[in-house]
Amino acid sequence: MRSILPAEWRDKRAANPLPGLITASLPEPQRAQLSNGATVVQLDLPDAPVVCLDFWCRAGSGEEGAGESGLAHFLEHMVFKGSQQLEAGEFDLRIEALGGNSNAATGFDDVHYHVLVPAAAASESLALLLDLVLQPRLDPDDFSLERQVVLEELAQSEDQPEEVAFQQLLQRSCGDHAYGRPILGSRQALMDHSPQSMGAFHQRSYRSDRCCLSIAGPLASLAIQEQLEHSPLAQLRPAEAGGEPQPLTFQAGEHRMELPRLEAARLLMAWPLPGAADQKTVLGGDLLTTLLAEGRRSRLVERLREQLRLVESIDLDLNVLESGCLVLLEAVCDPDQLPAVRREVDSVLRELQDVDPSNAELERAKRLVGNGYRFSLEAPGGVAAMVGNSTLWGRHHNLQAPLDWLEEWDVKRLARDLIPALSPERAFCLEAVPA
Amino acid sequence: MSHAAVEQRELEGGCPLWLIQRPGPEILSAKLWLRGGSSADPSGQRGAAQLLAGVLSRGCGALSGDALADLVEGRGAGLRCEASEDGTLLSLKCASEDAPLLLPLLLQMVSTPWLVEDQIALERQLNLQTLQRQKEDPFQVAHDQLRHQLYGAGAYGHDPLGVESDLERIGAEQLQQQAHQLGQMGAVMVLAGRIPHAVNGLLLEGVEQQRWLCSAPPRAPGPKGLKQSSLRSSRDDTEQLVMMLGTTTTPLGTREALALRLLHCHLGIGMSSRLFIALREEHGLAYDVGVHYPARLGDAPFVFHLSSSSDRAREACDELLNEWMRLLETPLSADEMALALAKFRGQEALGRQTGSQLADRHALVLGHGLPFDFADRSLREAAELTPHDLHAAAVKLLSQPSLSLCGPASAIAAAEAVWSTHPLNR
Repeated sequence: MRSILPAEWRDKRAANPLPGLITASLPEPQRAQLSNGATVVQLDLPDAPVVCLDFWCRAGSGEEGAGESGLAHFLEHMVFKGSQQLEAGEFDLRIEALGGNSNAATGFDDVHYHVLVPAAAASESLALLLDLVLQPRLDPDDFSLERQVVLEELAQSEDQPEEVAFQQLLQRSCGDHAYGRPILGSRQALMDHSPQSMGAFHQRSYRSDRCCLSIAGPLASLAIQEQLEHSPLAQLRPAEAGGEPQPLTFQAGEHRMELPRLEAARLLMAWPLPGAADQKTVLGGDLLTTLLAEGRRSRLVERLREQLRLVESIDLDLNVLESGCLVLLEAVCDPDQLPAVRREVDSVLRELQDVDPSNAELERAKRLVGNGYRFSLEAPGGVAAMVGNSTLWGRHHNLQAPLDWLEEWDVKRLARDLIPALSPERAFCLEAVPA
Repeated sequence: MSHAAVEQRELEGGCPLWLIQRPGPEILSAKLWLRGGSSADPSGQRGAAQLLAGVLSRGCGALSGDALADLVEGRGAGLRCEASEDGTLLSLKCASEDAPLLLPLLLQMVSTPWLVEDQIALERQLNLQTLQRQKEDPFQVAHDQLRHQLYGAGAYGHDPLGVESDLERIGAEQLQQQAHQLGQMGAVMVLAGRIPHAVNGLLLEGVEQQRWLCSAPPRAPGPKGLKQSSLRSSRDDTEQLVMMLGTTTTPLGTREALALRLLHCHLGIGMSSRLFIALREEHGLAYDVGVHYPARLGDAPFVFHLSSSSDRAREACDELLNEWMRLLETPLSADEMALALAKFRGQEALGRQTGSQLADRHALVLGHGLPFDFADRSLREAAELTPHDLHAAAVKLLSQPSLSLCGPASAIAAAEAVWSTHPLNR
């Protein structure tokens, strides 16, 4: 097939690596602390059609102690069952009657509850959100019923063989660390939990210095600070102990499993990288995974899907986590092709160890990562999540900083600081085949 | 809040061009919507529209597939090309300053695609593999089964990815014919964000010699549904039983479709929705429960979906059928109607957050032959609808639902027993 070099690659513009990749249209996040240490971050987006209120707390599954498996996620469900002021379902009804919506998500490190509403409803919604999240009712009857819902969520997840395979990968590579345990918890543990144990978890984890309220959207008419000083957020006490995330323990190795109902084989691989606090390395990890598997011309996609045609898909994602980031690879292929897929993935990774990537590959990755970041900030929800999460974990940079950090990476640094971390020997490798 | 400025133009050759200039980030989203899609797959070529869509980005004009990928990925842009039931959509999202380099690709892809046999073979193989892998998902199995129940061998009767036996036989010759017809049933281009200067010229760059002739998508009747009740089951060794209860209704743009959209808001939008409360909050029967009601040119499906543990299949099926029955028997209360309207308005506002969302929604509406301000008109018309209107639409269009089940044999038997005696099935 003939290959034509696009004319614009000879343009002067191409010499300037990332023109236009600036966040000039986005203002600086405004951070403040209430008298009890709770952090509030606001970002005014006058043109946005809605406001996002995003409450973050360091109360992910990693906060669970012995016997608390699944409690962080179960609590996230129970929060929506009402508070001292709100009946079960009343929060959703009132938010949705205001033309908004709400949701929540529990991760390994943190949990967040977010609401999108028209600006005129932001003040009322903020009062409802803080009441709901910080003063949950935890009614015993609601507790029993919601446990059934969580068990259904668990069953639904177990019916997706791909999710079962990923859980196995994390369990075998991260062992007893929180990242090796399912966020949804185990069935038995869920049956053993009580409203009292959940209340204790909430009391212990939802503390003023362990949470952050993030607000993004048209904020001109809101007097947020004054409202917050009289809210349940201002009543929170600080934590009694440190509670920093435990460093990730990761074990390289391999495992093969047969899974019922699997139609295509999976090659799953995991590697550890430094935690989210090392933000520049996170950007480097993003560049490396993009260079390897984002787009048709990335190394793994080009070799395994386009040239050798061994896989239906191959993905490599950087999961940004506090205890240690995880790079996760997934290749989907015919079971007969699995040995060849494994061989070629190893080969691509080894080539990268031996020969530095080209400048053109790195520039391509910088553009993809930079634009992906820019695109994620187009809606208030993305902005609130970005500044809320980073503020929660004490990272007080502006929205431009990640784009500047991208520019600090060159091929030599990538080869020295990051590429060795993605060698096949350092991975945990799991092969899942149809039973 | 400042509003977007809208301008209507026409490209040489006849394609309508809508420009939505909006403040904010320096990003441009472009959508080219081509009437056709999988419902226009020729007989014996189910999957042709999606296969062609996949191959369009594998070389066009002066660019090979690799050169095209180098250009797009090298600018950090996103370029997707996908077929749905009613159309093929080309989507570009890029930094505004890259628009002069990338916008010309859209018309080049549809007017001068390379359609190389080797690349067609690869794309075909990928689609076949995806079809195979989708069988892992019991929701997909139940959905595919319901599709057959609702549309049979009709134009909406297959997944846009196609059917294995047909897909295996589609080659360059068939795709050439398909490619010649791209846009002949109507096309529309919508750009949103920071619009570059001299945009008409940019869009036509590289296709000056082969003027691409097309016109605005007309308002025309789309594919029909079977309108008959049925039960189908697929055995699978899963923890849960997946249930889908649905029927075929009416095209986007009709007054009854608007009534059903409000019923959709009432039943399935948000955590205060009727199905969420009845099935999940009051009975704890499901984690995921909702309504699938896509916009369609023809008889759109209207589907309840839920999955519940096998040992609760009987209760879950009974409750699901009761909720459908309730629609037919009881009009919404005034409070329920007000909440449905608030959600409808809220959905509209939430769907206008990004340039890509704006372009997408307008391309879809215009692609259906509806006016640009269709969404605003719908908001006004929705406010005039009454609970009686919604009830009348439900009675007219939802009276003969079909049930699709996927799960363990014992759970299927329990759900089938409920179905066989339920008033909905009489």
